[in-house]
Amino acid sequence: MLSQQFDLLTVALLMALLMLLLAALVPWLLSVTRPKPKAVREEVVELVGCPVCGHEISRKYEKGDYVGKVVGTCPRGDGALVVKAIYVEKYESPK
Amino acid sequence: MDGSGETAPYLLYLLLINLVMIFLFWFTDLPQRIQLQRFASFVRGKLYVLEEMEAGARRKAVAYLGTVGVREPSKVIEGFVDNFFFIWPVGIEPTDIIRRLRHLIRTRESSVRDYVKRVLDSAERSVQYSVETVLEVVSVLRLLNKLVRHYLELGLKYNNLILLQYLVFQMPEIVEMARAYANSVDAFASGVPIGDGVGPLVAKMLVEWREPQREIVEGTDLYEVEVGGRRVYAIKASGPGSNVGWPGEALEKLVGELGGAVDRIITVDAALKLESEESGEVVYGTGAAIGDLGPEKIAIERIAESYSIPLDAILVKMSEAEALGPFTKKIYESVVKAYEMVRRTIVEKVKEGGTVVIVGVGNTVGIR
Ligand SMILES: [Zn+2]
Repeated sequence: MLSQQFDLLTVALLMALLMLLLAALVPWLLSVTRPKPKAVREEVVELVGCPVCGHEISRKYEKGDYVGKVVGTCPRGDGALVVKAIYVEKYESPK
Repeated sequence: MDGSGETAPYLLYLLLINLVMIFLFWFTDLPQRIQLQRFASFVRGKLYVLEEMEAGARRKAVAYLGTVGVREPSKVIEGFVDNFFFIWPVGIEPTDIIRRLRHLIRTRESSVRDYVKRVLDSAERSVQYSVETVLEVVSVLRLLNKLVRHYLELGLKYNNLILLQYLVFQMPEIVEMARAYANSVDAFASGVPIGDGVGPLVAKMLVEWREPQREIVEGTDLYEVEVGGRRVYAIKASGPGSNVGWPGEALEKLVGELGGAVDRIITVDAALKLESEESGEVVYGTGAAIGDLGPEKIAIERIAESYSIPLDAILVKMSEAEALGPFTKKIYESVVKAYEMVRRTIVEKVKEGGTVVIVGVGNTVGIR
């Protein structure tokens, strides 16, 4: 009969241990199954264009530039090239 | 039956432990105390994150102030953060509250300006404006951390579980707001336009990126163009430093100069989106689209009302982080949409030969 009592206690202890383990594992399980965010590369770009003829290119932002700054003359006419907008472009880098 | 003698003590112990547990959990404050400590430790963890953000913003601010030629930048920041508070005017006597509020706002603005001028003797105005904004951002973060710490300590001092619980539930929002502010230092220091600048950018697009005609009131520019045979005046803050100008006062002055001969006023601004709304949504409605403390908004409403000029509003929806961070492509695309909406409104609602005023409300950092 001694073995039976021993079993009762052991089972209770084992159950408790199992529960604790599960409780500890849940956050880890959740973090593993969640899809990983894709690696994103960010770059500040500026739209440079000519308000007269509509010629427009996008290029890398240079420090000190601002919207409305004159950065040259239009290659297609004699209008001025101005910075029309500055924004952050996001690229998903293949990985 | 010889096993029962062995089982009984165990059962007795279990029963005893159960009784003690029941007593502790039902007849004492122990669970609440444990909960209180758990809430407090959660808040402490987040407070640590907040303080890291503040320290990071401070480091960036010191670096920025150093590059624009401020001597002893950390001393300048220290001298700013806890000062320049603002005491709200008396509200139970409302007759001239807007005038008093406006006076206090202008006074504070000029004392901040004087403080910055003293430490930054030979810089141009756009740099001066950006320095002011960076200092303000650091002091917002300081205030936020002080408030969170205050409620944490208050909750622990008086064992106020509800207060701490409330703080715990508020924490994610507070952290997100603090992160938006902390990240905005980069944008202000580097001079890249931020989401709040949609209004000024729409105005700039409408006038085809030309130079302002004149500065109508301090820090606020006036442009004049023709769109489809209508005379269009555009008002925006003077850039490219971080500045919001005085759009209300500027509009008041302009409409006064024109003798009220204006057919429509259109205000364009960024607005905080609801959680279910899409970023970059462009919507239109009626009223003054501006989020100041009151004086500028009421100036717009009053001048529109006194000459019976219809007042339109166009809003670009975005989150707080987007409003304080650099323009994303999505926000830029919605600026183009807002610009088209303004043009459409001018052509559809104002007859040829008429006069329209566009007010591009918002921070003009990175936009001349
Ligand atoms: Zn051209």
